[in-house]
Amino acid sequence: MQLTVGIAEMKVSKGAEDLIITHALGSCLGITAYDPMTRVGGMLHAMLPQGSLNADKAVENPYMFVDTGFPRLLEACLRSGAAKNRLIVTVAGGAAMKSNGGGDDFFQIGKRNIVMLRKTLWAEGIMLKASDVGGGFARTLTIEIGTGEVVTRTGTNSTVLLPAKNSVPA
Amino acid sequence: MSLNILVVDDSRMMRSVLIRTLQISGLPVGEVHEATNGQEGLDQLSKHWIDLALVDINMPVMDGETMIDHMRANPLTKETPVVVISTESSPERVEMLKKKSSGFVHKPFTPEVVKETIERITGVNHESGV
Repeated sequence: MQLTVGIAEMKVSKGAEDLIITHALGSCLGITAYDPMTRVGGMLHAMLPQGSLNADKAVENPYMFVDTGFPRLLEACLRSGAAKNRLIVTVAGGAAMKSNGGGDDFFQIGKRNIVMLRKTLWAEGIMLKASDVGGGFARTLTIEIGTGEVVTRTGTNSTVLLPAKNSVPA
Repeated sequence: MSLNILVVDDSRMMRSVLIRTLQISGLPVGEVHEATNGQEGLDQLSKHWIDLALVDINMPVMDGETMIDHMRANPLTKETPVVVISTESSPERVEMLKKKSSGFVHKPFTPEVVKETIERITGVNHESGV
């Protein structure tokens, strides 16, 4: 089944046939987390770096922000059977989109999102396995739950961030 | 197999960042020893078995380059892998430091770069379990 993650949403699955996808990642970040042993994976589509920018929104929808959304992605993966020390985290997006509040990416939302993700990962003690960030274009991000393959697409180009793991864990 | 690692940097914060990086890297890290300059680094090398040294260059008392020269002149430490972690940006200096060491990581660095450099040099890989 295809599970689509909208803007400021998160989805977690342990269904081997599931594909989680998010579209139109500009300055937003698409963050995936995957445990290759239990085959639990999830994806967050966060718009802005930190919840303190709008505390009410952060309470109403924590997935809107990197620093409040990522810990919830982590919790949801752990609740579904993932182990923190096995989680493989990737990120895509963080582009410098010229439509963001001016002609020259004045607010640098993409860059600030990436910095906040790095801070959040550091606090959680997790390293980033792979990334496809920056540039000035939108991306689509997918993760296959059965294999762990993570792919970004922009136009007709695709990049494999994490290759599929076909071996079935014992 | 676990790696005993020596961290040599005059900045306490930088040593803390490197040690935290080692802790979250998933690499099999054994003992971690610290030194605040090259001379202290050599003292630690004389007291402990070290599998890998992470060495800053610009430090008081004895700089990192002199420390590496001493290590290479000592039969007990001449083969010990050294990763230089420095703000040095002159291409000539960086090239020279690369020749004297096993790897070079430019400050500021990401934890992933440090991990990948250690994996490449030691052949120890978290995922392979080796």
